[in-house]
Amino acid sequence: MKKIFNWVLTHPKSIVLLLLLITGLAASQMRHIYIETDMDAMLPKHSDAYINKQVLEERFGSTDMVIIGIINNAKDGVYNTHSLELVQELTDWLAEQPQFRTLALNDLLSLATIKDIRGSDAGLDVEKFMDGVPETQAQIDHLKQRMHDFGVYEDVIVSADGSGTIFAARPMPDSRHQYAEIYGLVKAKVAELEARGGSERFFISGRPVIEGVFGVYMPAEMKRMQPIVMSLLLVLLFLSFRTPRGVLLPIAVVLMAEIWTLGTMAALGAPIYTITTMLPILILAIGIADAVHFLSRERLLAHHQAYSHRKERMVEVMHELWKPMLMTTVTTGAGFLSMLASELPPIRDFGMFAAVGIIYALLITMLLLPAALILLPEKAKHAERKPLFSGYVEWLGGAVLNHPKRIMAFFTALLVVSIVGVMKLDVNASLVDQFKPDDPLRQADKMLNQHFSGTTSLDVMIDTGRENGLLEPQFLQHLIDLQDEIEKDSMVGDSSSIAEFLQTMNQALHADDPAWNRVPESSDMAAQYLLLYSFSGAPDDFETFMTGDYRQAHVRINMKTDETKVVAALLERMQAKTDLWFPEDKGYKVEWAGTGFTVYRLSEMIIDGQLASLATSILAIFLLCWWMFKRLLIAAIAMIPVSLAVTVNYGMMGNFGIPLDIATALTGAMALGIGVDFAIHYLHRYHEESVAGNSYRDSVINTNRSVGHAILFNTFVVVGGFLVLLSAALYPQMKLGALIAATMVICYLATCYLFPVLLGLGKEKIKV
Amino acid sequence: MNKITLMILTATILLAAPAYSAEPTGLEIMQQVDARDDGDDLIQKMKQRLVDRRGDVREREMISFRKDYGKDSKSITYFLAPSNIRDTALLTWDYDGIAKDDDQWLYLPALKKVRRISSSDRGDYFMGTDFTFEDIKQTPELEDYNWMLIGSEMLDGQAMWVVEGKPKSDELKKNLGYSNTRYYVRKDINMYVRVDFWDRKGQELKHLVSGEIKQINGIWTAMSGTMSNVQSGHRTELTFSEHSYNTGLSDNTFSERMLKRGYRGK
Repeated sequence: MKKIFNWVLTHPKSIVLLLLLITGLAASQMRHIYIETDMDAMLPKHSDAYINKQVLEERFGSTDMVIIGIINNAKDGVYNTHSLELVQELTDWLAEQPQFRTLALNDLLSLATIKDIRGSDAGLDVEKFMDGVPETQAQIDHLKQRMHDFGVYEDVIVSADGSGTIFAARPMPDSRHQYAEIYGLVKAKVAELEARGGSERFFISGRPVIEGVFGVYMPAEMKRMQPIVMSLLLVLLFLSFRTPRGVLLPIAVVLMAEIWTLGTMAALGAPIYTITTMLPILILAIGIADAVHFLSRERLLAHHQAYSHRKERMVEVMHELWKPMLMTTVTTGAGFLSMLASELPPIRDFGMFAAVGIIYALLITMLLLPAALILLPEKAKHAERKPLFSGYVEWLGGAVLNHPKRIMAFFTALLVVSIVGVMKLDVNASLVDQFKPDDPLRQADKMLNQHFSGTTSLDVMIDTGRENGLLEPQFLQHLIDLQDEIEKDSMVGDSSSIAEFLQTMNQALHADDPAWNRVPESSDMAAQYLLLYSFSGAPDDFETFMTGDYRQAHVRINMKTDETKVVAALLERMQAKTDLWFPEDKGYKVEWAGTGFTVYRLSEMIIDGQLASLATSILAIFLLCWWMFKRLLIAAIAMIPVSLAVTVNYGMMGNFGIPLDIATALTGAMALGIGVDFAIHYLHRYHEESVAGNSYRDSVINTNRSVGHAILFNTFVVVGGFLVLLSAALYPQMKLGALIAATMVICYLATCYLFPVLLGLGKEKIKV
Repeated sequence: MNKITLMILTATILLAAPAYSAEPTGLEIMQQVDARDDGDDLIQKMKQRLVDRRGDVREREMISFRKDYGKDSKSITYFLAPSNIRDTALLTWDYDGIAKDDDQWLYLPALKKVRRISSSDRGDYFMGTDFTFEDIKQTPELEDYNWMLIGSEMLDGQAMWVVEGKPKSDELKKNLGYSNTRYYVRKDINMYVRVDFWDRKGQELKHLVSGEIKQINGIWTAMSGTMSNVQSGHRTELTFSEHSYNTGLSDNTFSERMLKRGYRGK
């Protein structure tokens, strides 16, 4: 090792040049970085929710629609000339925008495009509800009456009380990268309409809008957080070192590590997900520790003038530090790498690149700092300065020894409360809940869900296994039964299928007698109805409900929420029904898809991944500690503060009602990986002190003096860094920030307060 | 249509035109297309293949009878296959011009009832095909478009006029669903063999391409045609066979009674 260190110190210029070159190379890769906002891409490619979504789009067309709602709280709701004029204008405008597909009826649904199916003495009338804006009150009343009688679109396009109406517009295929632009376009148009006055209020939502907003938020968040975390680091570094190099060198280290990591991600084609936007902050906050340790040690040795030559001194610093730094990096890395146990690509990427980032940080610290310090002129030594918080650290050493019972009582109580909380822990992979409650988008979504059938899609695809299979009366009846069963759920706003349309046609062809509102009695009849309808409809009017060979049917469900709990309950209830009505042995195949199902599968994988990664990280870190300390017992003790902190973390989530989601799921393994460093530092020192023959009491006080400051500084940096996330625009980031910060505080307390007490219990054994 | 009047008119135009210019105008070409002899009546078998973007095919077979009544025409079509729509029959009274909506009735054997089909917009799709009601007419309503000859071209070894027809008003564009159409008309027989359509937003929408063209009973007849929607990936292939022109179909053929009776073969 010393050879390598010497080489580094004899070639400082080459080293710095090499580092700069690599940094330049990484920076040049960064332009390839792309942002992934598609929620389905968060699922592994082999997940049925991912596959079924592709099948759904392939078979029945995309269900991702931009949704615009008009709410008018005046007496007649939207049933007045002014509102209906707006409906017509906005519909025409949407139809003209090249960003939207307007091939078929289902591409652009609004009060001005949907068709009424009505029976007359002579036959079947299929007409638009609105052929131009109705001018007289009588026409408006007629429209309202028809909408109510037809039923299919009630609550879907117009709210049951008439207070609002919806537009659903389909973006052009493969235009995901334009979603943000589309949202901007629609927002501008809506603002223009609103500015004209009138009692109508507009709300915009839908999956493309949500994903578009994510696409805008994510890079903006990264750009906004970076300077905040940097200034926090600058302040903390300045407080610690008070020299330009003491501030700038660590900053240079972490910035390089950040650029290298992002460059690596770009080069490997890894996209930025919502949670990986936190990587830069993470690397800054964790990576800084090594640089700080290095500079502190170097300064201390310089102060004591232990070595006459700078080079010798530097070699000593590197020699002393490389092992503990490597160890803490390895344990932290193990915490992150345990996320690879998850099946979800965002979590896997997060874990992998966080580990890569801290390894880079270690490497750069060991190369850049010695090289730079050799190159920089040696300055006159700084006056001895008492580190901040010395008083507190001094006090702490004695205090913990005086109140072991209180400390034990406090942590026991904390543990009990936490375990109660863990029992209440919930999971929620909702897309909408990722926005803060007061975010305009979440408000709009809430509003739309209140007035209409719901903005979350859930889809059932049923393959009858044979051509014309879906025309059979029994099958159609079972589709209706399924819809009835689904609609019993209060969170389901509406469902629709081809069976519903065939019922309506059956009634229309029997002089509009409601008694005939049932499925056609024969397969031939259903086929002939569809033929009859085809004289008025586009080839793909029903494309979204069935395939051209009448083999596969699609039931579309609108839900008012994408909360995991609700979706899971519905899916479990439906499973039994679909098994009964569409048995596999009769050739049927039932597949679920849609946002609701994606959320459901995401949740399952979050929980599974969570358990797996926790188990892996605990085991890995335990084994590492065992190997490091060569003592099983010490390894076990090292795990206590982090285990406690992790329990408290999940307990807090349960107690405060913060569900596990794709971001908060990271907290466990992360806290474990970062927190165990404290324990390692502490135990390492305590062990040295005991071995040196000090009594338990002296060992505690000396350990505290020696590593107390470093641990405190680490805690400040990590807690501060993660608290910056409180300003995040996205809810999960905020929650993750708060949780990690709180957990690190617990970790600190457990290390500096609980450890000495526990070591006191087993003082005889640990002393050797 | 009153063929004699029209033929005289066409002849006049043909004779008069060279006095002003070497080439006919777009409108004149389309008038010649409109005036082309397509028989006074026709019986033919038709096969429809609806192919969606995934390549799934739905096939229908039918036999249709058509008879001209001046510029109006009547037709009756019996569905032969698939079996679940066999004996379903469609009767259409097609009126020239846009003043009067066409009349259509459909007989549904499962209901044993004749049902009238509500009048459709000209831009509405027809029978789940990629043809709109406007497209299935022999020629579009000439007075609704501004016609312009934009050039001559060789296509499959044949000399073509290329004529562009743009709907005259925004209202018409909305109604028809097209902002522009382009006809490739064979110079020798006044028959279009390819039509391109652009949607209201000005994007390419559909292509209609005729297959083999033969003379049957002295009348030029396309044996097949494919309408492809380039945006949806859906296409409709039509093949025609067993043509008989001018067999002197009786007026009774186009009645509600015949609609219900169904096709009994020859």
